[in-house]
Amino acid sequence: MAENNVENLKKIREAVSQDLLGGRIDLLLGWEKGHYWWQSRPLFARTEEDLEKLTWDSFCAINLSRYLLDELKDFQKVGVLVKGCDARAFNRLLQDNMVVRDRVTLYGLPCPGMLDYDRLAEVAEAAPEGIIEQNGKVTIKTADGEKSADRDDLLADKCRDCIYPDPVVYDQLLLSPVGKKEAPEKFTAIEKLEEMSAEERYSYWEKELSRCLRCYACRQACPFCSCRECFVEQQNPRWQGRAYQASENFMFHLVRAYHGAGRCIDCGECERACPVDIPLQELNRKLTKDINQLYGDYEAGLDAELEPPLLTYRPDDPAAFSEK
Amino acid sequence: MSTAVNETSAGKEPLIVSFCCNWCSYAGGDLAGTSRMSYPANVKVIRVPCSGRINPMFILRAFQRGADGVLVAGCHPGDCHYSTGNYHGRRRLSAFKRLVEFAGFEPERFEVRWISSSEGDKFAEEMTAMTNKIKALGPNRKMRDARWQKIT
Ligand code: SF4
Ligand code: SF4
Repeated sequence: MAENNVENLKKIREAVSQDLLGGRIDLLLGWEKGHYWWQSRPLFARTEEDLEKLTWDSFCAINLSRYLLDELKDFQKVGVLVKGCDARAFNRLLQDNMVVRDRVTLYGLPCPGMLDYDRLAEVAEAAPEGIIEQNGKVTIKTADGEKSADRDDLLADKCRDCIYPDPVVYDQLLLSPVGKKEAPEKFTAIEKLEEMSAEERYSYWEKELSRCLRCYACRQACPFCSCRECFVEQQNPRWQGRAYQASENFMFHLVRAYHGAGRCIDCGECERACPVDIPLQELNRKLTKDINQLYGDYEAGLDAELEPPLLTYRPDDPAAFSEK
Repeated sequence: MSTAVNETSAGKEPLIVSFCCNWCSYAGGDLAGTSRMSYPANVKVIRVPCSGRINPMFILRAFQRGADGVLVAGCHPGDCHYSTGNYHGRRRLSAFKRLVEFAGFEPERFEVRWISSSEGDKFAEEMTAMTNKIKALGPNRKMRDARWQKIT
């Protein structure tokens, strides 16, 4: 991305500043540099000055569409920069009636994939201090020198698994498309778990989930978790107990995942947000895998017009219980 | 659901919680009763309007608070009082059943059956079969809320 980064950023800034300063949008959701060089955080731009902070680099992983839920309360017209996953997230919100299409302007950014700091550190075998990108290669600078690696080997998990880097919905496409990527083997981990005995699987989850802080960052990051009142905060009935024990961890995780049945867009934001690396995607993908197998292939977020599988039925549907 | 389903299940008799739809399965249970058929007292029936009304949190809550097995019973597909409730229920509960199995529950712990209001015999049979299966499996400890656990 780096070689034409400056040029790309210029194109993006031109397009959005025209709309923001011309009053076609009241707010632009984009990215700006965060505290660290390897972080790009959401930017809420209202003025020309704000727009100067706009960035488009290899660390803009955070999904911006989710912020529409809040911003549309305060602003009439909002513009959003959307990568592939942000665009699918937008479709998700649209299908859930959580956003109004004509109050939002989507600026499409075909995405080369975002880099992951932990992966940079792993490959560099030292704390990375900066990167230079050129022709699909990344040079990682550390205190004792440099290390070069293929860009593809440094991608964040969510980007490594992504097949739709080009936005599937937009009003303007600001950069040139990168094309559909090959489908990765998403279900290998699930199949391995399925082969275990029930006891082994329970222990596996008991252990994994025991790390959960129940900070709900996974929910906050997720484009399908858009309920105004989440079951975890509901007081009556109080579904989610506060106690720190396996029972309550299972309650949260099974229900969170289940609420995404047929709705999870596989953006990986939940896992990226989780501070304790809980393999949330394994739960999400288990549901996706089964629903596809039972009720036909469906990819959430691709087409807002297609009905999600759990909102519909066929009279001759198969069932997963011994009785039809 | 905020009070105990049953305080004890560990040890001797298993506890089965059965969510029965008002229009078919609950009536099927009534028929079993008026026809003097017997089924194990381990089964505690909770009446719901429709199998489509089942919120999976009901099922998890039952497991948290003492159930060794959960059986959802509803009208046969095509016979729903609300036309489509059980069609939706079938998809949702299928996905949910696979998910709880993935979390490590034995498949027998959670089942779904279609029982019509004229199938008193089927009601008694299914409740007996479920109870026997759960007896053979033994008490459930998965997802049990530690605060509801009785010492065996
Ligand atoms: S559950 Fe995770 S992967 Fe699925 S839509 Fe939500 S954030 Fe994305
Ligand atoms: S982000 Fe991770 S730790 Fe926080 S609630 Fe979700 S799974 Fe638990």
